Amino acid sequence: GTAGNGLGIDEEIIITKKRTPIPKLDDNRLLSDPGIPRLQRISKERLRFKGKGHEYGDIARMLNMYQLWLDDLYPRAKFADALAIIEKVGHTKRMQMMRKGWIDEGKPRRTTEWDDED
Amino acid sequence: AQTTLDEWARDPVDPEIRAHVYSLITALGGIGEDGTYSLGDDALLCLKDLRRWLKFGDGQLNRRDVARCMAEANLVKGDLLEILAKISPRAIEDTWRHKLAVAALELLVPLTWPFEIDPVEATVNHYQHGPYIQLAQIGYKRAILQFDRDRTLQTAVKIALPSMAVSLRERTPRDEGIIRIALYFIRNIAMLSPPNSAPMDTDEAEVSRSATIDTFHEQDIFQVLLSASSSIGEDFVTQDVIILEILFFLLKGIDAEKLFMEDKTLRGRNADELRNLMQKEKAMLAGYARNAPTRHNRFGTMIWVKRDDEKVTTISGQDVLGKAQASMRKMDQTKKWNKPRRPAKKTDGEQEREEFDLPVSLTSTARDHIKAFVEEFLDSSFNPLFLHLRKAIEREAERVEIRHSRQFFYLVSWFLRAECARRRTMKERAADSKSAAVLTAEDESYGLVAEVMNQETFILLNRFMQKSQDEKAWQDLNAGMKCFTQILLTVHEMSESALEDDQEIAENIQNRIFYEESTHDRVVTILRSYNGQGFGYLDAVTELSHVFLRMLERYAKQNVDMQIRSKRRTRKIKKRQIETSGAFADEEGHASETDDIQQAQRTVSERKFDFTRFAAKFVNQSSVNTFVAFAKYFADLDTEQLKRAHRFFHRIAFKMELGVLLCRVDILQLFNKMMKGPDGLDTESHAYKEWDDLVKHFFRQVVKKVQERPELVVEMLFSKIPATLFFLEHGYDREVTART
Repeated sequence: GTAGNGLGIDEEIIITKKRTPIPKLDDNRLLSDPGIPRLQRISKERLRFKGKGHEYGDIARMLNMYQLWLDDLYPRAKFADALAIIEKVGHTKRMQMMRKGWIDEGKPRRTTEWDDED
Repeated sequence: AQTTLDEWARDPVDPEIRAHVYSLITALGGIGEDGTYSLGDDALLCLKDLRRWLKFGDGQLNRRDVARCMAEANLVKGDLLEILAKISPRAIEDTWRHKLAVAALELLVPLTWPFEIDPVEATVNHYQHGPYIQLAQIGYKRAILQFDRDRTLQTAVKIALPSMAVSLRERTPRDEGIIRIALYFIRNIAMLSPPNSAPMDTDEAEVSRSATIDTFHEQDIFQVLLSASSSIGEDFVTQDVIILEILFFLLKGIDAEKLFMEDKTLRGRNADELRNLMQKEKAMLAGYARNAPTRHNRFGTMIWVKRDDEKVTTISGQDVLGKAQASMRKMDQTKKWNKPRRPAKKTDGEQEREEFDLPVSLTSTARDHIKAFVEEFLDSSFNPLFLHLRKAIEREAERVEIRHSRQFFYLVSWFLRAECARRRTMKERAADSKSAAVLTAEDESYGLVAEVMNQETFILLNRFMQKSQDEKAWQDLNAGMKCFTQILLTVHEMSESALEDDQEIAENIQNRIFYEESTHDRVVTILRSYNGQGFGYLDAVTELSHVFLRMLERYAKQNVDMQIRSKRRTRKIKKRQIETSGAFADEEGHASETDDIQQAQRTVSERKFDFTRFAAKFVNQSSVNTFVAFAKYFADLDTEQLKRAHRFFHRIAFKMELGVLLCRVDILQLFNKMMKGPDGLDTESHAYKEWDDLVKHFFRQVVKKVQERPELVVEMLFSKIPATLFFLEHGYDREVTART
């Protein structure tokens, strides 16, 4: 609050009870530390695949990782709902810029580009 | 204001109206001394007065009081049907009786006219009487279908017969009126169906489609329809749309394919269906039993799920013991909050009645009757009637209303399907060496449905689809898509016909359909722009794009140097014209000039068709979303529909190598649920094996990709941006070539 610095002292104070705002799963939350950065971290640390013959198990483990991560990030929503919300957030300009950045980080240095000309 | 009980008990109908109407109904007649109905002295005048009341009170004052009064006074069953029964044997011989019968019919038609609440015109009064009248009308239908002293529908036709016999040129407006009334009476009876919104007392079977069909057969109404529609254009002209409506309400929702199945195969199919359903139920119960608690419900188990950062989650219930996946599910299920969803649009009465995606099942007698009718109709009346209707729609004739185009295209698709099914059955029968049947359909070629397989129909259909797409009239578009799909399928069957003529015609039609690029683009656009229009629509969209793509692929393979006509914008011409027109162009010349420019802007050019490039248009995020929405209904899809979705995803992931479009957590979860449950696909079914193959391969691909490119872990949350799509799929950037 910026109130309480004495300037509005003569005015009558109207008390309106405000609802506590419901936390939103928006781009700010998604980009904060428990959001995407944490997902990147835990996927590096924990995601282990067994490979051929264990396709369903591998994907199930991956889905569980997402579910637990989302439960920490935004406990309010069910898994499917949270996914739908995030998918939509991904359409904003800011998110698209960020996403492009993350991908570019992973790209190899631009030296071997000349090879694959067709 | 305070409401009192008296106010509630007040008669909803104006007492004066009630008094007048009741006295007229009483004066109409009653049970006489001999136990039969005897007419009042001025019965004819009473009927005319009642009609005037109905017209004046309900039509002019825009109230429904009179209709309600008549319903409460049991006018239809108690008087009108009795009057018709009494005079029907000698109705035509005697002018007075004929007049009386016409007057009775003139009352029956507005009374059975399907009740509609028009949101613009409606008053409180309409809402007050609506439900009562709707239920009363179902009562009328029941009374008319089940009436045991007379064949009322037949009587109605009999009354119109003298007017029908007069040749078209000599008919008076009164004759036309009587014919119209008789046909509308039949339409109303076919159209009335129990409302979904109000509960009913009567047995639904007594007013069901089967009952209607049986009665139509018994009272020879089908004969009337056949003779009217086969001589359309000669003896009948304006009646075409009424017949169209009768056919629509008789046939909508009936499975044309099943109709023409041999009894034996049908029985086998039904038995299979029952077996499959029982199997499905068994699998469902087994799936439940696997996770069901083994002890009583107050056993009170509670477990901790250990999570990272020293956190734990508590879950109660013994069903999650020792099963990691079950506890994950339960954690999710117990959350209380749901993402707010757009409420489904309320459908009004008219839409409910017009709904053609709801399947209707028939009793075996009704099935036989309607089958016989459809066969005769195809043989004699299909071409003349549908040609006549098409012309009327093209001309935008006054009698044609908006709903008629939709009904027209729906029926075209229905009859094409029926004809194909019939031919298939005939072929099977002929192939069977033991049976005595000879190949009759083969000799006849596809001439029986030729009138809807010509260029004029395609143009009309294209226009109709474009228009309904632009106007967001989804139900119209749904009917248009069904029609187009069926035309493609029919052409395909024609191309495999034994007759050379048929093959040639089929090729010509295909040439014309596939020549226009705008058709290709429309199919793609419709598929991409699905946005919650309901399952029937979704089914039609996916079927159309599946069939279209398949046919086009085959066609493009056969015709390697295929050309298509595409519309291109040429900006250069526009620019040049603006320059030459200069600054002196006066106002008058300007208008025509802009027309010229617009013309010049769109030039038509031919170019070579490249199937792979076209197929690439089908492969993008929005079409994936459409098919994912379709696959979400997997529990309710039949084998053919599951196959359709399977082929699409297979095309995406393996043929077009764009599996990255499917790399989204919600899609992975859907696939995982389909295969591994709970409530997944039945593991015994044939579709399961196909899907298992696809999903397993795809999952392996995903695992490999995630290992190669860890950035996918984040991207998996989102729909992909075109800019990064190529890199994600291949791991390197596409060489960007400057566009020439």
